[in-house]
Amino acid sequence: MRARYPDFSGFVDRDGVKVAYDVFGEGATTLLLIPPSPITHSRSWKGQIHHLSQHHRVVTFDGRGNGRSDRPGSAREYTPAEMMEDMVAILDQAEVEKAVLVSHCHAAWWAFLTAATFPERVSGIVAISPGIPFVGDPNQHWTEVAARWKEDPVDPQGWEMCNPAFWRRDGYEDWIRFWFDLLATEPHSTKQVQDMVGWALETDPETMAMANDEETKGATPELADRLCRSVHCPVLVLHGFQDLCQMPGRGRAVAELTGGQFVLIEGTGHLVAGREPVIVNRQISAFVSSIEGRAMKSRTWSRGLSRRRKGLYVSSPIGLGHARRDIAIANELQVLDPDLHIDWLAQPPVKSVLESEGHTIHPASKWLASESAHWASEATGHELNAFQALRRMDEILVANFMIFQEVVDEGNYDLVLSDEAWDIDHFGHENPELKRGSHVWMTDFVGFVPMPDGGEQEAFLTSDYNAEMVEHVARYPRIRDRSVFVGNSADIVPDSLGPGLPSISEWTNEHFNFSGYITGFVPPSADEAAEMRQQFGYEDGQQICLVTVGGSGVGRSLLERVVDAFPYAHKELPDLRMIVVTGPLIEPESLVVPEGVEVVGYLNRLHRHLSACDLAVVQGGLTTTMELTAARRPFLYFPLRNHFEQNRHVRYRLERYQAGRCMQFHESTAEDIALAMVTELSRPIDYLPVETDGARRAAGLISELF
Amino acid sequence: MRARYPDHTGRVVRDDISIAYEVYENGGPTIVLLPTWSLFHSRHWKAQIPYLARHFRVVTYDGRGNGQSDRPVDPDAYASQILIADAMAVLDATFTETAFVAGVSMGGSLAAMLAGLYPERVLGAVLIGTSTWLGNETPERNSAAFETRLDRYDGWDKYNMHYWQSNYRDFTEFFVDRIFSEPHSTKQWEDGVGWANETTGEVLVATQLKETLDENREREVLASIRCPVLVIHGTGDRIKHYSAAEKLAAITGGTLLLIEGGGHCPQGRDPVVVNRAIHNFVELNAPRQEILK
Repeated sequence: MRARYPDFSGFVDRDGVKVAYDVFGEGATTLLLIPPSPITHSRSWKGQIHHLSQHHRVVTFDGRGNGRSDRPGSAREYTPAEMMEDMVAILDQAEVEKAVLVSHCHAAWWAFLTAATFPERVSGIVAISPGIPFVGDPNQHWTEVAARWKEDPVDPQGWEMCNPAFWRRDGYEDWIRFWFDLLATEPHSTKQVQDMVGWALETDPETMAMANDEETKGATPELADRLCRSVHCPVLVLHGFQDLCQMPGRGRAVAELTGGQFVLIEGTGHLVAGREPVIVNRQISAFVSSIEGRAMKSRTWSRGLSRRRKGLYVSSPIGLGHARRDIAIANELQVLDPDLHIDWLAQPPVKSVLESEGHTIHPASKWLASESAHWASEATGHELNAFQALRRMDEILVANFMIFQEVVDEGNYDLVLSDEAWDIDHFGHENPELKRGSHVWMTDFVGFVPMPDGGEQEAFLTSDYNAEMVEHVARYPRIRDRSVFVGNSADIVPDSLGPGLPSISEWTNEHFNFSGYITGFVPPSADEAAEMRQQFGYEDGQQICLVTVGGSGVGRSLLERVVDAFPYAHKELPDLRMIVVTGPLIEPESLVVPEGVEVVGYLNRLHRHLSACDLAVVQGGLTTTMELTAARRPFLYFPLRNHFEQNRHVRYRLERYQAGRCMQFHESTAEDIALAMVTELSRPIDYLPVETDGARRAAGLISELF
Repeated sequence: MRARYPDHTGRVVRDDISIAYEVYENGGPTIVLLPTWSLFHSRHWKAQIPYLARHFRVVTYDGRGNGQSDRPVDPDAYASQILIADAMAVLDATFTETAFVAGVSMGGSLAAMLAGLYPERVLGAVLIGTSTWLGNETPERNSAAFETRLDRYDGWDKYNMHYWQSNYRDFTEFFVDRIFSEPHSTKQWEDGVGWANETTGEVLVATQLKETLDENREREVLASIRCPVLVIHGTGDRIKHYSAAEKLAAITGGTLLLIEGGGHCPQGRDPVVVNRAIHNFVELNAPRQEILK
């Protein structure tokens, strides 16, 4: 799932060559994002589009030779002049009079050419790692590549692989992999490298070879110098200090020749927009503001001591999981400090729960990109690789961090409470200078653990992510003012964070405080449960089996199989009554059920029903299974396949509580499930008790900050 | 000990009245920090000068009636056009061709007049806690007439020429307390009372009996302002209600910075936010070549 989809997509057709473009958002200024095609395409701007289109109109395109655009078959169709004409045609067709051109690498040449040829169409240029030939420091490697270009190397290594003859002999992918590994000079860049390699492999060696020759065709030292000097619009150059493609001295020289502003980004390499999206987005925004007008905005500043104590609560938006516990913590905080005002930055479905209970939703919430929809889109059947889904959520996380940052920049929040709000924690550590109020990080698990299906590659990736987290916290202990583990030390899995890293338990015990588990409600007594059963219409003698898959829309296949198990179970248990709750995203009517099974779309306060039922069949999510554990109900749970949190962290915790029976969906037939239902119903409940003071303890830990 | 001393000082003399100015040299545009009512003198900018002088050229002067300047007691010597002419004389004497101007309270209205009357000299105006005819009176200021002799002078009745002549210090303590309405303002209060007592009740009476600019003329000049304007006002201002600032920003097309909980002299009590706002305003509005220099 993307953070933002285009409002309009179209093609320009010039002499039979089609070039695809997308338009996002509205605003007084239009930005044209130019990818350095054909090695990549418009998706390389994925970390920018959502943010920039909040404030401006954004147009991006796939340069000829990659993406959805044509791959014409002759070199003369890739000249800088053709690129420039494509861009002007896109501006014409999208009815853009004037645009700020944002380029990466050699696309700067096309941007400058356009600004010099059509100055009335260009209001500014942002050149990221600009590849203007002959200006500033040359890269010796490129000089050598050019010298060897027509040769046919035997067993080329490293930069020697940048050679068309080698590419045509199946060497293209080797070169691409070498090349992007080299460019990603920042540690923990696995996702950015994977993205860049993927996009580069969407074109072919023939196209690459042709286009490479033409990229900056016609450039001479004199022309490059003249071109830079002839640009009269404002220019911003962003350059990574560790750039191994374009030397940073080149960016500085381009800025000097154009009278532009130069921003050097220390610690980063050539893939600046992908690897440092936050600083890049903020720099582009500030640049556009400076072009748009020099007006100051009227505002109110409140004296420090005049401000009400304010918190911003960001509840993990994946499903409904954390809403109850976060509300419970917020309520306890307000008991400790009745003057504390809490705004919530929240997405559906959490948002509707908060609203129904009278909590304040920050208006910027409506701009958030949907994390829930992303998770739903990542699931197939009863399978969801949670780690990969989180990785692939990178562009949504950047988008939502940018919104969060605008909210805290303006909002005078004393406290930011993030319950598994990965965007805030991750980009907070990556951009530590942006921190505003105190930050409380809450989570119920620590450590990504690989799933066996993922093999060695996943083990490598999870430990790389863990290593980055460990380094973040070690380098910037001031970013998390308090870390609260929702659970107990004994809940931590006895696994390692990865090779050369501490054990999860050691690291978590060192860096977290423990609140105990937080259900957000007190389980009913026997009398209360009996009363609730009467209220829900559960008759005496009936054995009520509730089947639920939560609110995410993932889980139809589980519902179907459990429904199929009903007739088998019913034979053994004549008083069995099964109620299936489909949740908001599965139509109740769409489920075909045997006689005796009831289907409802929604049950108000589902946790109350769960705590009064005789048996529950659920997925492996922590919230629901722990609600059942706290209420001491028998239950079967089916972790989603390849979901590391459900299969490892949650299961480990439930086994410690001796609660429920874990079943694997892919190995369980309807008969197996029926048999397990019968067995569980007769098993004595000997679960460890779940504490009921978790929210108060968490609030106590948090309140020490104010 | 000051945080920053002027690079040079001087005087302009007009009709035998000597006005003392200070110049803090720097590249970039000049900002003139104008005098306010003679109750205070140029030290009321003490929290701005060191910071702004790192970025701009700063000129300050003591308005007639306090500080290093002369203290005439003739009301005619404090007429609006005379105070305006003093400002222009300081600009000329310091070779300041163009400048941003900033003023607090009566200094705010002086800045606005300069901006309206001398568009070729004024690049932008910062108007803080500005006294104009605009806006509502603060509810507490319903005192007897300035010239009425009373038996007792309680509260705002102390705003009275007879009281100033006999109990000037008590008036200054009362009035400065109203200026710094924010809690914990003891240092600002001490400073203010100190500056106020560098002049006399007699001088202050003269400043009040002067001819004032009439409401229509003031409105006309405000509406004629074309340069960028930044209006700053505390919502807790007990001298001039902040509704005046909203109207002032509307008439001048200016940007409004409201300071929630702030009093009449935010440059003294909330110097950081005021310094940053002025800096930002000048940077944004300075002619390009001035900044490049």
